[in-house]
Parts: sequence; C-alpha cells; structure tokens
Amino acid sequence: MERPSTAHIVRGILLLTAIMTAIGVALGILLPNHIMPRQMSADSHAAVMTVIVFSVAAAPVAALVYAVGLYSLLRWRHKGAEQPTIDGAPIRGNNAVTTTWLIVSTVLVIFVLGWGLTFLSSAATPHADPLEVNVIGQQWAWSFQYPGTGVESSKLVLPVNREVHFHVSSKDVTHGFWPQELGIQIDANALQSSSISTTPDKLGSFSVRCSQLCGLYHAYMQTKGEVLSQKNFAAWLQANGASASSASRVAVVAQGRAHS
Amino acid sequence: MTTTQSASAPLLEDTILEPKAGGLYRHQHAGTGLLVGIALGFIGWLLSTSFLQSNESFGSDMTTTVTMVSWVIGFNIGVGSFNAPIRWLLGHDQTHHDELYAAGVGQGWKRYFKFCTDHKVVGTQYLVLVMVLFGVGGTLAMMIRTQLLSPHSTFLSPETYNSIVSIHGMVMIIATIIMVSGPFANFVMPIMIGAKDMAFPRLNALSFWTVVSAVPCLLATFFLGGVPAGWTTYAPLSAQAPIAMDAFAITIITFVVSVTVAGINTVVTILTMRAKGMTFGRLPIFTWGSMIGGALGLYAMPAFLIAQSALITDRVTGTSFFVAAQGGTGWLYENMFWIMGHPEVYVILIPPVAAVLEITTVFARKPLFASKVAIGGMVGIAGLSIMVWAHHMFTTGWAPNLGGPFMLTTELISIPTGIIFLCLIGTLWRGQIWTRLPMFFVYLFLWNFIIGGVTGIYLSDLPADQYFHGNMFVTAHFHYTLLGGAMIGAAAAVCFWFPKMTTRMLNERVGKVSFWMIAIGIQITYYGQFLEGFEGMPRRVANYDPQFLHANLISSAGAYLLMAGWVVMAYNIVSSWRSGEMAGANPWGSKTLEWQVPTPVPLENFLVEPIVVADAYGYGETPQTSTQLGEGHR
Repeated sequence: MERPSTAHIVRGILLLTAIMTAIGVALGILLPNHIMPRQMSADSHAAVMTVIVFSVAAAPVAALVYAVGLYSLLRWRHKGAEQPTIDGAPIRGNNAVTTTWLIVSTVLVIFVLGWGLTFLSSAATPHADPLEVNVIGQQWAWSFQYPGTGVESSKLVLPVNREVHFHVSSKDVTHGFWPQELGIQIDANALQSSSISTTPDKLGSFSVRCSQLCGLYHAYMQTKGEVLSQKNFAAWLQANGASASSASRVAVVAQGRAHS
Repeated sequence: MTTTQSASAPLLEDTILEPKAGGLYRHQHAGTGLLVGIALGFIGWLLSTSFLQSNESFGSDMTTTVTMVSWVIGFNIGVGSFNAPIRWLLGHDQTHHDELYAAGVGQGWKRYFKFCTDHKVVGTQYLVLVMVLFGVGGTLAMMIRTQLLSPHSTFLSPETYNSIVSIHGMVMIIATIIMVSGPFANFVMPIMIGAKDMAFPRLNALSFWTVVSAVPCLLATFFLGGVPAGWTTYAPLSAQAPIAMDAFAITIITFVVSVTVAGINTVVTILTMRAKGMTFGRLPIFTWGSMIGGALGLYAMPAFLIAQSALITDRVTGTSFFVAAQGGTGWLYENMFWIMGHPEVYVILIPPVAAVLEITTVFARKPLFASKVAIGGMVGIAGLSIMVWAHHMFTTGWAPNLGGPFMLTTELISIPTGIIFLCLIGTLWRGQIWTRLPMFFVYLFLWNFIIGGVTGIYLSDLPADQYFHGNMFVTAHFHYTLLGGAMIGAAAAVCFWFPKMTTRMLNERVGKVSFWMIAIGIQITYYGQFLEGFEGMPRRVANYDPQFLHANLISSAGAYLLMAGWVVMAYNIVSSWRSGEMAGANPWGSKTLEWQVPTPVPLENFLVEPIVVADAYGYGETPQTSTQLGEGHR
C-alpha cells in the first residue's frame, strides 16, 4: 500500500480542524449569551465572557483531537473484521510534537489562569460607600436585613449602580446564596458570616436560589430579587418600615456615585 | 503464536487434594457469611439496645453503628476472611493443600461464591459485583430522571428523592472506583507482569468480600429513614439525617478498608512480583495506570474514613468536630471530604484511561506514542490532584485568599491530562485502525472526555464557577468525565478482556447496538443537563421552575436511552458469557503477556516462568508472530 506523505495527512487534518474549530467558535460565541440568564452586573458579565472566551480558546485544541480521530477513521481504518495483516507505522514518539504540545498547553493554562486572576484582583477593589445587606438562610427560606433601617424582607431589593456588600450566614445548615443574574455565589454557613459584593447595573427582577442541598424543601428555597432606581429603593425601604431619615441615609449615596 | 503449554506439564488445578484440605474453608461461602453476619448483627443490636442506650428506644445512632459494624465483622468471619490469620495465631498454619483449596482447586463454579485467593476468581467476582452495583445505581438514576419529567412532580416525595440522589451518588462512586481496579487490575494485571498471583492473595479476597459486606449497609439506609444529605453528606445537614446516616458512614469506613487493602496489594504486586526481564521500562501502560491509581487511593481514601469516623462520633458520643453550635465547623468536614474527593476522581479515572491507551495500541497496531511521557502524564495528574481539593470550595466562604492558588493547581492539571490526549491521538496516527467493539468505546471515550475536560476548565475559573457551582452544569460535567470518560473506558476494557476472562467472545453485533444507544444516550442526557445548568437550575432539586422543563425532558429522554443501552450491554455480557463464540488464547493479536497464556488461564498463570525481552508495543517493528516473551519461555 502506498503511504501518503506526511504533508498530505497534515493538510487533511488541519482542514478538519479548521472546520470543527469554526463550528466550536460559532457555538461558543452565540450560545452562552442566548441561554444564560440576563446579565445584571459586571460579575455575571464576567461569567458569560469566561464561557465564551474559554470556548473559543478550547475549540482548536478539541477540534485537533477530534480531527485526528476522525481522520484515522476515514483514512487509516482497516476494512473487515479480521485482524489487520500489516501493522501501523512503528512510531514510538516524536519529541518535536510532544514539546510543541506541552508548550501550547502551558501557554493556554497561563492564559486561563491570568484571566481568573485578573477577575479576582478587580473583584477585590473596594468601592466607597457600599450598601450593607445581611443575608440569612434558614430551612427553607431567605431573609434580607438592611442594617440601619430595621427593614427585613423576604425579597432581595437592591439599588442600581451601587456596590452591595452581602454578609451571608445561616441559622441552621449550610445553604448556597445564589442571586443568579448577579453572577455571584457564596455559602451561608451556620454561625459564620461570609462576605461577597457586587454592583447591580441593570434594573429589573432576578432570582435568588439555594445552591447547596439543605434538606427536605431545598428545591423551594428560592425567592425573587429586584434592582430599583435609587429613588425607588429609598421609597421601598420606607414602605417596608424604615423611617424617612434612615431610608434616605441608607439609600442615598454620596454625590458622584449616584447615576440614576 | 508462541505456545506456553507443553503437552506433558500437569496443571496445578488438577492436583488431587487431601480429603480434608482447606479445613473450615470447606464449609464456608457467601451463604455462611450472610448467616453469621445476620447473627452477629442481631447480637450487636441486642447488646447495644440493652446496655448502651438505657433511656433511648430502638434505632438510636449507637445501636445502628454497633449493629452495622457487627454485621460487617460477622459476614467476614462467616465467609472465611479471618481463617488463615487465626490459624497462624493458633499455631497450625495452612498446609500447601489448604492453600490450594483456598485458591479454588477442585470446587468448580462454587469457588466464585467463596473466599478464594486466586486473583482470576477475585477479578471475575469484582466484575459481577460492579455490574450489580451499576444496575442498582442506574435504577436509582432512572428514578431521579423520572421525577424530573415534570416541574412539580410528586412521583417521589422530596425526602425519598433526596435519599435516592445520595445513594445513587455513593453506589456509583463505589462502583466506579472498583470498576477497573477490581476486575482488570486483579484478573489481568498480574498476568501482564508475569506473576503467578497478586502479592497478597488473601488480602485480595479480603478486599472483595469487605466491599460485598459494605453494600447491604448502604442499601439498608433506605429502610432506616434514608440519607437525605447528598453523597457528600456535608455537616451540619448530616447531623439532621436519621440513623441511616450511621449506616452510610459504616459503609464508607468498610469500603475505605477494602480500597486501602486492594491499593497496597496492587502497588506491592507491581513493585515486587514482575517476571524476569519485566523492567519498569517494559511495564505495560495499564500496569502503570493500576499502580498510580492504587497508590493515589492510598493517599486519598483515609481522609474519607477519618471524616466519616468523626461524623459518627459527633452523632454517637456527642463530640463536635463539625457542629458549629458547639465550636466545630462544617468547613473541616468539607476540607476532609474534598481532600479525599478530588484525588478520588483520578483514582477512578487513571486506571480506565490507562486501559484505553493499552487497547489503542492493539487496535491501531502501533507502539504507544511517547509512552514515557504518558506515564509522566499520569504521575503528573496524580501528583497535582492532591493539591486541588479546595476548588470545590471556591464559593463556600472558606479562605477566599486561596482562590488564586487553587485555581493555579487546578488549571495545571490540564497539562498532564492533555498529554493523555496527545498519546492517544499520536497512537492513532498512521495506525491500522481495527474497528472492533473495544475500539468503538475508545473513540467514544475520546469524544466524551474532551467535553468533560473543557467544561472542567470553566469550573476551574472563578468568574464562571460563581455561576456554575452547585448547578446542573457541574452534574453534567462530572458525568461526562466519570461516565463518558471513565465508565466508557471501563466498557472498552470489558469488551477487550472479555475473551480472556470468560473464554468467549462478546457478541459484536449486539455490542454495537448497545454501543450506539449508550453513545447517543450520553450526548442527549448531558446536553440536557448542560442546558439546565446554563439556564440556572440548581443541583439536587426534587422540583424546579417550569422554565427548565424542556431541558429536563431532553435529559430524561436521553437517560432512558442510555440506561436501555447499558441493559443491552449487560444482556450481551451475560448471554455471551453463557453461550458466546469460543475465543482463542489471543483473539486480538495483542503482545502483552496475558494474551500469551492459554485460555482459560491455568492456576498460577504460567506453566514456565516467562522471561521478558522487550516491551509489548513492538507492532510493526518485529515479525508479526513474536511477542514480548524471550527464549526461556518456549
């Protein structure tokens, strides 16, 4: 049997790789925005962007592996059920290929790591004058306290364009505080307060679900949240029992940070 | 083909034993294990209710714990696990004929129900046990998917649903840990390295019968109130669980003993029992995988034993390792759990991955591409896997500053994992691809494991993990790696080694039907679950928002197809085992040692001790008929 040249094989595999990479990249760019929930903060935007960027970065690697697999089936398949009478090429390795593979995968890992670390450092940047909210999980309901106002609510209402510090804890077992459209998540641990922050940047409603199995009605441990304009937020605080002075003190932020 | 059997050599299994060879073993089998186990369990229950729980009624934590431990010990006494050491202690050690009896000589099919020290019997026992466990775990999975057919389904109560989710998880974890290290590292590996048996044949049988004794404890949880805390049984949720939680903990403790015993046995066998000339450079890749997986298990599993022991003392004697209200912390449990939990994933994965590489060389008729790099890759995976556990805890609030370091170690693992892919496609390159059933599963492994790997990279990076953690995306991801990768690799191994283990060929036509059902079923099932995850459905929920309905319908439909595929495969295994076409000694033309011995493999495997002169991958280099055996063997 005449052996095709290596260049010929490589061209075939690269063609298959290119086609599959194109499919992967297209899916990676189009799908996440379409099927993930509305992005209502920089964090949820980062989650969607991570999926897109990693899909695009992974597509060529996955496509190459699939291309070699497919090519081997198309071109090197032994026809028939009997054992092949000749063996494959006795190739025990190829240092250039192995080295290239290792370098490329290392570069990809560094990129992926850098992406995550950049996010971590931006998340760590403190903002002035955040809104403090205590999040309390218990079997099987969430409650939200707004310190300084005396307001406690089963619905998570937040002002737009202002950083919120959540102090998350639990009265019983571990729950997972997961306001989905805000792109953040942290466990509510018994007798232990954990903090996480985000800045909602869109008006509208969102879902808060529990992401840690917490017993019988875990599935029903969810509530609605809503992002309001700063004016409406102050009004909501008052409507829920805050005095006018405390509502304006908590809801209104220092000049220069309010956008709506 | 070389022959390994000279016509005149008497087979060891034809030895005429002395009339009372075996002593007590003659009267012991799984049935006596059951009887003694139940009897001792009853005595344990009676004593603990009478003396240890003066003011609490039937069913307390203490009673359950004592009963379960008594059952495990009783079963193992009854089946004969402790005969030999006790005889040694009493001063009349086993004779040669006793040992031959224990190895199954002269007992026919009955030896499969006994404490048998022949590694091939133990391997076969494991294969059947794994299939039974997959049957149980798969049935539970079908109940989960049936519940999720509608958003407000009442097919199962939330309590039952949560218990089923937990036990599905634990049964599958047990089954997948032993699915390759049990049947194949026991049956095949010793022959592969030219050994007569494992280094510790009795420990080998012990490891099998301890898993067997653990399974009833796990299934008993359904009758003791259920374990509604997930297979992770995070504290403090586990403190609320009924007494089934104690049975669950005893299951794990027993299972860890078994895995530890088996892991030591595998590692020591490979280090010390290799035939003359079987240097480390010539060890087949599957042997490396068994050794690395076994060694990693020795590191990982004890943490689970300690965590569950502490959980029991919290429940039974009032300690507070994990109880926040009394000064403990749930994070301690979470750390211990994942110090076990992440390496454990690779304890599951490495042996089937190595089996896939082994099979690829045979069906591509090629040497393994960059075999030393492949070994390095597996060692790299094992080494890094012990430093990644806290990526399961990115969003728990524990040590936020460790996010960066654990992201680093986690993402580094994709380098050695990538090496496995390189070696796989490098071996396919310019091969003579012989597409028999095992090779079908190799390609499916390749397809699935890439998807499982890539989706894992999203989860390793904090911004995406903050969305996907605790969400169905995670479920889909790890099913793609553990089912789509590891279990499919194990399926390839079953198809590949079936002729050697059973003397018969697996029916290829039925096998391909099951293959396509499984292959398509996986894609549909976990496409549906990825979709659920992207859309934001949490894991482990008995009911869900109607917005997730279509994704759940897709997943459930795929799951039924997938399960049907496994049932067809199980049918194929059973029917081919009974009446399949007879296989020769080496139907795949493989060069590893296990294919050079006759089928069925005689007791102690080799009639003449083999001398190894080359590795098993000389495809295309040496004449077709030669093997890795040297002259000394012929």
